[in-house]
Amino acid sequence: MKTIKDLERKLQKTDYKQARLYLFCNFIALMLISAYSTLMLSPTIQLVFPEGGDSRKQMIAIFVLTLFGCGVFTIYAASLFFRKKSKQLGVLMALGASRKRLAPGLFKEVLFLSSVASIAGILAGFPLVWILWSGFRLLIVDNSDMVLNLNLSCLFIPVLFALLVIIFSLALANRYLVRTDILEVIREEHKNEPVKAPGKWCGPVGFLLIFAGFLLGYYVPGLYMETFSAMPPAWVNLSYSPVFIGLYFVVLHTVVHGWIPHRKAPYKNIISRSMMKFQGKQTVNNLLVGTVLIAGACFASGYIFSIMGPQLTTNAPKPYAYLFPYRADQDMPDKEEVAEIAAEHNVSLKDWTEADYVSLAFDGEIQYIMPDEHLKTVYEELSTLETCMSESTFNRITGQKADVLSGTFMTISDAEEVATYHLRTYGSLITNPVTKESISTEFAGFLHYDLLFKKNGYMVLDDSDYEKISRELTKEYRGKLSLFNVNGEDNYDFAYDLFHTLVSKTDDSCYMPFYVDIYTKANHEKAGISYDDFTSEINHFQKSDPDSTTFRTEWAYMPVFQILNSHDFLMTYSVYIMMFLFIFIICLIAACIILHTRCQTIALNNRYLFEDLKRLGASPEFLTREVKKQCTNVFLMPSVVGITAMGFVFFMILFINDNRISHSEVTSILLSIVSFAVLGIFLYGVYRITVREIKRQLSL
Amino acid sequence: MLYVKNLEKSYYTEKIQYPVLKDISFQVAKGEFVAVMGPSGSGKSTLLNCISCYIPFDRGSITLGGQNIATLDEVQLAKIRNEKLGFVFQDFMLLDGLTIRENILIPRIIKEDVGKDAQKRADKLLSLFGIEHIKNKYPADVSGGERQRTAVARSLINNPLLLLADEPTGNLDSKSSLKVIESFEAARSQMDATILMVTHDSFSASFCDRVILLKDGTIYKQLENHGSQRLFHIQLLDTIKEMSEEL
Repeated sequence: MKTIKDLERKLQKTDYKQARLYLFCNFIALMLISAYSTLMLSPTIQLVFPEGGDSRKQMIAIFVLTLFGCGVFTIYAASLFFRKKSKQLGVLMALGASRKRLAPGLFKEVLFLSSVASIAGILAGFPLVWILWSGFRLLIVDNSDMVLNLNLSCLFIPVLFALLVIIFSLALANRYLVRTDILEVIREEHKNEPVKAPGKWCGPVGFLLIFAGFLLGYYVPGLYMETFSAMPPAWVNLSYSPVFIGLYFVVLHTVVHGWIPHRKAPYKNIISRSMMKFQGKQTVNNLLVGTVLIAGACFASGYIFSIMGPQLTTNAPKPYAYLFPYRADQDMPDKEEVAEIAAEHNVSLKDWTEADYVSLAFDGEIQYIMPDEHLKTVYEELSTLETCMSESTFNRITGQKADVLSGTFMTISDAEEVATYHLRTYGSLITNPVTKESISTEFAGFLHYDLLFKKNGYMVLDDSDYEKISRELTKEYRGKLSLFNVNGEDNYDFAYDLFHTLVSKTDDSCYMPFYVDIYTKANHEKAGISYDDFTSEINHFQKSDPDSTTFRTEWAYMPVFQILNSHDFLMTYSVYIMMFLFIFIICLIAACIILHTRCQTIALNNRYLFEDLKRLGASPEFLTREVKKQCTNVFLMPSVVGITAMGFVFFMILFINDNRISHSEVTSILLSIVSFAVLGIFLYGVYRITVREIKRQLSL
Repeated sequence: MLYVKNLEKSYYTEKIQYPVLKDISFQVAKGEFVAVMGPSGSGKSTLLNCISCYIPFDRGSITLGGQNIATLDEVQLAKIRNEKLGFVFQDFMLLDGLTIRENILIPRIIKEDVGKDAQKRADKLLSLFGIEHIKNKYPADVSGGERQRTAVARSLINNPLLLLADEPTGNLDSKSSLKVIESFEAARSQMDATILMVTHDSFSASFCDRVILLKDGTIYKQLENHGSQRLFHIQLLDTIKEMSEEL
């Protein structure tokens, strides 16, 4: 060993443990970001998640939180690395090595470690996505939507993040090198990082801020839209910021004061509290990130169950197990043909009934998002085509005795009137799209029949109004509903076969999503908005597989076959459910690794304290208790706050929609509670492993 | 050799100034073994850290071997630390990943002069301080006294003008302390080393030629050793008592 390079090389070799931790932390952070970004930006997800839709926004929001979490984690890893490294640097400086001499070796090492970790992490993200996604396809659900297509643009975010990691590490290295006080550099490792102790007010205030932040975040975008008649820009999301400030206060309270007062025994937790307090900055950061990631995991699991909840409740038997609508000009199977298909599957039909409906134009105000994000509201006499039936048809199908007054219309909802916000409840004029004759109308309330509850709804008109306004309508604007049951046990193969027969017999003009009709294009152009986006969306729809999420959730003539819906539920929502399952896994892995690493560093940094306590006569049980207290503090607070906060958010979202909790929402809440409990048990398992690991390291 | 003139240094905490060294002046001649003593907070370690250029000072001058260190840039200061100063820390500050022999050679490695001469000198120091048998061991595997003697050997590898020691016996038992002090004496007698040592320990200080007593950032008194270590120790204890009674 003759040169400073040899010296550095030997020191790097012997200090491999600290380099390994640094590599591991950066690798994990980059792998998670790379995997998340790869899947989020893949055509598989992009084509299914609607542009501007809530699911897409939520997916991006959790990604931003994951980025934040991984960012804090890498900063933590770098500061740990340099704290350990500082003694080495300081001693060499004290012995006469100038900063210029030390800089190349240090920068080279940091550059090497961060680059290797970043590149390996980015590359590992791809197999991670592939393994998880293939696992989902193999074990849970597979269809044409689930084919994983990747897009190279997914590399942009992880590469940018990696560059920031490298630049940050080099900047931190430089910070240590340019310090004028060499002794400070030498003693950096032993320096405490206490947080400024705020009063005991900070915990309760923190909870209030979290609560206020969620309310603000929920209401401010709507308020903005109302006030400025424009789509809320991204910065409006800052209205959620009190949540993070509140969370910081809660974590601070946990680290500095703890939540259980020990008035009778004030010294009870003095050791574990002091261990936390004096490395407070790092502990607070890690707990904050852990909380955010656990909340992200809870959100993802809650999202999955919010989709599954309504499905479980709609599985209840309906008066007709089969319903299929079709346009009158389509050559669709009649009763005999359906019976023939049924016979092929050893199924016989019963209760066959048919009903007529018409498509009529309703007036109304349409809100457009202009290219400058402003909202433009335009009144149109012919705003949309709505599916209408006469009151006698409705009564015949349902067995009800509805009486719709002339000059009014009623809309069919489900029994609980869940999510009626996407049904038509306004309109003053109904127009025959062929003759252009109009009648005045007004909304007269809801009728209830689950089977006829669909996204853009069925309207029911007074018989005389119906007869008058539907005169001279061509077949293009007329339609039929076929409804029936089967004898004995239902048969999925028959339902599947019939569905595909209906799709194949439908001509191209009916391959339309429910939200598009003959007025959509004209109205958009009248409002001065390009129709191109719509055209591409419709093109995508028309090319989609009948078993795909897009087709099954958006087709205007999608039949309602109970057995098909319940059997193919996972397949229909496969991409949504699997994406959020993926997010759940990523957030959970990240949270567990961060909290586990934090516990380990607290224990290792306080190794000498544990040795001293041993010398002072502390029994292994006492020391184990102290280790457990540390780990409990680190795991418990993020778990409790993350899970509770997300539980509250879910409850708030479900309640605020219609100021009540419906039957299907109760199911979603119960399922979410079960999933949160499972999450809690999993975190408890990781906590147990962490305690065992630390006990082994401290030889307890 | 070393001239310290009107040295002043303050620390600041949130705009409040805490003067630590107030107009300190003294000198150390070549081959002299000088101790700096004083109660906690008297400025002993700060004085040593200013002389070793580890921390900057506010006013005054420090001249080492004819060179005013306040005027030097970072590269020149590093060269001074490497070639003209040797430093012994209270907590040894050896690098755990290097053997005892490699630790001793670090200043030479920094100087890029690890020829046969350096190897010979390292071996000589190992033998002089009685740590030859542990030369291939790592710091974690040897005793505190051996670690400190390694640190003394490391500080002498470049044959510095001045050896600075900050509480070198502070973490050691009396037997190990004595061995470290003996190693300083050996360095002085056999290598003509000049030593400035900060200590709390009057027994260790009684081996020095002179003791500078600091109080509240100023020099309280300077005592000279006239030959008898035992008598000088008694004189030191009396003066320390007198100083503490004045507090």
